[in-house]
Amino acid sequence: MDDQTVRTICYLSRLRLDDEKSKKILSDLDTIIEMIDSLSSSNTENISPLYNPLEETARKFNDKIKSDNNKELFLENAPESDENFFLVPKVVD
Amino acid sequence: MQFKTIKEINAGLVSKKFSAEEFIKDTFDLINKNKVLNCFISLNEENALAKAKKIKVSKDSHLLSGIPIAQKDLFCTKGTKTTCGSKMLENFNPPYSSKVVDALDAAGSICVGKTNMDEFAMGSSNETSFFGNVHNPWKKGFVPGGSSGGAACSVAAGLVPAATGTDTGGSIRQPAALCGLTGIKPTYGRISRWGMIAFASSLDQAGPICRTAEDCSILLDAMSGYDSRDTTSLNLDSTNTFADLNKPYENLRIGVVDEFNIDALNRESQKLFNESLKVFESLGASIHNISLPNINQSVPTYYVIAPAECSSNLSRYDGVKFGHRSLEAEDLESLYINSRSEGFGDEVKRRILIGTYVLSAGYYDAYYKKAQQVRRLIKNDFEEAFKEVDLIVSPTSPSEAFGFGSKGTQDPTELYLEDLYTISSNLAGLPALSMPHGFVNGLPVGIQLIGNYLEESMILNFANRFQQSTDFHNAKPTFEGF
Repeated sequence: MDDQTVRTICYLSRLRLDDEKSKKILSDLDTIIEMIDSLSSSNTENISPLYNPLEETARKFNDKIKSDNNKELFLENAPESDENFFLVPKVVD
Repeated sequence: MQFKTIKEINAGLVSKKFSAEEFIKDTFDLINKNKVLNCFISLNEENALAKAKKIKVSKDSHLLSGIPIAQKDLFCTKGTKTTCGSKMLENFNPPYSSKVVDALDAAGSICVGKTNMDEFAMGSSNETSFFGNVHNPWKKGFVPGGSSGGAACSVAAGLVPAATGTDTGGSIRQPAALCGLTGIKPTYGRISRWGMIAFASSLDQAGPICRTAEDCSILLDAMSGYDSRDTTSLNLDSTNTFADLNKPYENLRIGVVDEFNIDALNRESQKLFNESLKVFESLGASIHNISLPNINQSVPTYYVIAPAECSSNLSRYDGVKFGHRSLEAEDLESLYINSRSEGFGDEVKRRILIGTYVLSAGYYDAYYKKAQQVRRLIKNDFEEAFKEVDLIVSPTSPSEAFGFGSKGTQDPTELYLEDLYTISSNLAGLPALSMPHGFVNGLPVGIQLIGNYLEESMILNFANRFQQSTDFHNAKPTFEGF
């Protein structure tokens, strides 16, 4: 992984690597990529991807408001909130 | 009271040899005396004793009534902290309980606490937990396996008869093997993932870790069943494996996988494996060599798919709605970056970065799509094999338990290879069990049985028969060095 790719991936992941650890993590990533590169040796021509082991089971359900959707309860876990909202640093001046 | 199975505790409760309250009090005494193991992140003493006081167990009660159980700390428990082994969720109190917790609670079992684990279930040695390493009760300073390391440790040390675990690439079976226990990962979709903190959603599956196949069957029957809140839950009734434990499965054909190259194992492991095959034959099974041509691609396939799903699932931790929030943030962007960089440990970061990489534009087809294609090849291989055999056997793990820090510190893929034999059944969604079958260097090792889809009854039945003919599951840890 070159420096630019690393910067892009870190940004997309919203992660920052400490200077002292980044060297080790980046070398680990290279080792992992070397391992997963072996996939290229498999012949997958005309093979459809398998995204879920039991494809037929994925279902949809209606997005209905239920009594267990409890705003007060959920806000209890928020690091910062007021009566009705999650609070974040100011976004617009 | 230590080292009792569910059946033994149930017999004591029914005959009034001891009450549920007495047993739970003794359980907490044991847990507190063994704190050095570090297998629990939090205890549930007050609620557990209150429930035990109310329980009256009779011969008509559920077998789990009054039985202490340890829950892996990634099953949400309403009112009890659920950390997933991470600083990110150090103070998270879920507003609801997982299906597994509710189902075991309804059966009358008593949750005594939440067990330690690799952070977000990413690890094979329980060394990535924010809450510290867990010791293997067989030897101090040695790993219990992972990610359900605390769960396996709590059962192996005889503190509880059963614990829940989750298995994304071997996280039930490998710690069960390294601690001398029995553990089963059922067919994908058998147990609801509702309230189970997600790592890799197409691979994650819950299951029990116990001393015996019989106890695993009691837990599995209580944990399984359809749940409309999990869109991948199988629309089937709960399993009925306990009733099937003594069903005669005649002339089972058992496959040994050529590509697993048993000859490459050390001599002691080879000997144990061949001795177990002889026990299988004495139980009426026949042994056949089979080929799974793409199985050696399981580890690279897994280490594309699991990190990809992890990077997506863990994007929810942003410091806004719940979980760790950085105090250093100046704006929204730095709130996200700082909260995530402070809240996640190194292994989780490694996997998020790899996952983001394989999903990013330019690499998606070469890695992510390619891995999902190879996954189908692996599944197709199993489907062909199960036309010829009923069960597939392999070692559970390439080695016995190892010392803290002795694997994976220089090269992370060294630890990833711990899951060599277990990963393929997650990729294909197949049920698989590990049970103890001997010792290498004085430490327990396991043998794995993989079954066809929905064949949990056959697997547990055969494991139960193996345990009626052998004594490995009765061995108690030596607590060397404690």
